[in-house]
Amino acid sequence: MTSPAVAVDRDPAPAPPPAPARAFGQAAPPLRRSACRVLIGNWTGHSTVPSHGLYPHQWSWNSAFIAIGLRHLSPLRAQRELETLLGAQWGDGRIPHIVFNRAVPLGAYFPSPDFWRSSTAGAAAGAPRALETSGIVQPPVHALAAWLVHRADPEASARRGFLARVHPRLVAWHRYLADRRDLGGGGLAAVVHPWEPGMDNSPCWDGPLARIEPAAADSFRRADLVHGAAADRPTDLDYGRYVRLAAEYRDHGYRDAAAAHPFAVEDPGFNALFAASEHALARITQALGGEPDVHRERAAALTDALVARLWSREAGQFLSRDLRADGAGPVTGRLVRARSAAGLLPLLAPDLPPAVAGALLETVRGAHFGLGTTVRLLPSYDLRGAAFDPHRYWRGPAWFNVNWLLERGLRLHGAGERADALAGEILRAAEDSHFAEYVDPYTGAGRGTRDFSWTAALALDLLARRARQDPAPVPAPRKDS
Amino acid sequence: MFRTACQEQLLPGATLQEKWEFAAAAGYDGIELRGKGDFHFRERLPALRKAQADGVPMPTVCVDMPHFFAAFDRDRRRDALAQMKSQLSVIAELGGAGAQTPASYGMFSRRLPPFTPPRGEEEEREVLLSGLTELGEHARAEGVTLFLEPLNRYEDHMVNRLEQAVELIGAVGLDSVRVGIDSYHMNIEEADPPAAILAAAPYIGHAQVSDSNRFQPGAGHLDWAAWLGALESAGYRGHLALECRLTPHLDPAEAVRSVPPFLARMSGAAPSGAGR
Repeated sequence: MTSPAVAVDRDPAPAPPPAPARAFGQAAPPLRRSACRVLIGNWTGHSTVPSHGLYPHQWSWNSAFIAIGLRHLSPLRAQRELETLLGAQWGDGRIPHIVFNRAVPLGAYFPSPDFWRSSTAGAAAGAPRALETSGIVQPPVHALAAWLVHRADPEASARRGFLARVHPRLVAWHRYLADRRDLGGGGLAAVVHPWEPGMDNSPCWDGPLARIEPAAADSFRRADLVHGAAADRPTDLDYGRYVRLAAEYRDHGYRDAAAAHPFAVEDPGFNALFAASEHALARITQALGGEPDVHRERAAALTDALVARLWSREAGQFLSRDLRADGAGPVTGRLVRARSAAGLLPLLAPDLPPAVAGALLETVRGAHFGLGTTVRLLPSYDLRGAAFDPHRYWRGPAWFNVNWLLERGLRLHGAGERADALAGEILRAAEDSHFAEYVDPYTGAGRGTRDFSWTAALALDLLARRARQDPAPVPAPRKDS
Repeated sequence: MFRTACQEQLLPGATLQEKWEFAAAAGYDGIELRGKGDFHFRERLPALRKAQADGVPMPTVCVDMPHFFAAFDRDRRRDALAQMKSQLSVIAELGGAGAQTPASYGMFSRRLPPFTPPRGEEEEREVLLSGLTELGEHARAEGVTLFLEPLNRYEDHMVNRLEQAVELIGAVGLDSVRVGIDSYHMNIEEADPPAAILAAAPYIGHAQVSDSNRFQPGAGHLDWAAWLGALESAGYRGHLALECRLTPHLDPAEAVRSVPPFLARMSGAAPSGAGR
């Protein structure tokens, strides 16, 4: 599979500088006002918590998605959101998936800082000495977020030196993923814990996780069940496996070369975001007067590797690759047959081969995901999969960040009307659910915590785009059965 | 959503009509009057009535006196109360929304020697509550509102933060007393100005704007996008009244003209007439 060495430089949703969203004197839509209230309420002075109860610290990909919406409320806060996250970057380039707020009691979230012990256990990997973080990562949405935040107010960004400040950190982050996480040797970044791809409890991990001996149930105490309904959250057995994997990584000093990585998976969503962020990094580099081609070439190489290693023509989508499973073919490991929404996210890559993009567009509305036919919002997992559950964490519910990414991918590959329809459904579900963490993909009924920051942020972003388009048609209310 | 007003002393022109001609052309929606003491504001009534008849919008008046309703000195307190009542009556006659006053200005600071005010906490609270009640009842009778403005710690020692004003207003229990917020003072006193706005949302009756350095918005480092976004989310429907000094190196008229488009841009909206 070949792709052009220099990717087509298309941006599906260019954010022109300060958007004339409406005439001065004209009231903002109520949804904008309530979304802003959520983001102001969840701001901590330097970053935004995903929600005050369940997630009282700073999360890596949450902050990136939050910044994408926060730029419409305050470009300055959006810049600070990313700057504070990048301020916790490790010496080896990794951006930790959680940066802990030291003012929050240890018992408020598990695994807590005394589990990760980053400042001591992670010293060899360059963990910050004065901050406590987790030791694993989340998907690399950050360069994309930084570029979009810059575009919201290029003058303020230039005045503060925002791009110049974040650029070397973003480069180091991508270098970490390329150099230390290519565990399969095929040009993709592997995840070493089910929390790393962000879709923590996806059925895609059931197989690779089954090989992991769970940590003893009495060796840890979950905090997530205090705030979330147990039926919606991961099982205790799976939680024991999460704990085992994280503890082993920690006990190897978070050094990727030293750790055994019994869980090692190439995830299409993670790598699609990596490719999209390389494209964004090319734009950032260019804006700073640098040479962008190296990033475009990396993006193209990532796209090639995605297609070569994770594309399944039979499934009509990308699948994750379990690097620790015995494989029959020449490529290390084996494709995991479970269908996750992550397998549709390579639509974010602009240089995807047209046949692949076309097949993905069909799969999005086909029987397994049913977007626009049987469901309102893209489910996180195969509607026909045995493990599908419309309410359980990442095993079926629709998430707003995934739907926002898909909306962008649809637009990028010429499905503008479908993107408009999806944007309408996202906005409606965000409003009706009071910015739920996730929703039932059929009904849009809210699940998980409410006033969830990225839900509010991404609604704000879609609202701003709609206002600029003056206005995109508001879909008529659906007649749901 | 936001309408803007400019305080009269910032506008070029000899009369309110001339000032309004400039202000309207610059994109303002009204003029905030300044109310001097010794019943000077009341004595301006003929000219104010004429301006009103000529279509000059005058939504609010901001007090401009040497002493205020919570002064240490009893006679000055009595005079300030009489002046404020008169100003409330005049602004009511002009069809305005209300009058803004701090508890005091330049009288005492707990951050400057001698650090301890001559009056005890209990007495201060009694003075504040009785003054606000008296003015609030008068405002209610006139169909207007008294706006209590928290000032920064160097300018007043009694009411510095929105939550303090809200607490006093809650104790007074009159809808005719609201908070008049000021972005400059908030920048000094509030840990998180947008969050403070949302927390005080139902009580905010008026808003004055100037930047972190007391110059016109845009001349300092306030996060205007967040401040205005919070005010919008709070459901605020009043004016943004420009009360500031002007940066010395700019032509004063140009500095005043720069504010409405700047505020529009920072609130994510296009200037009036510019459309989409």
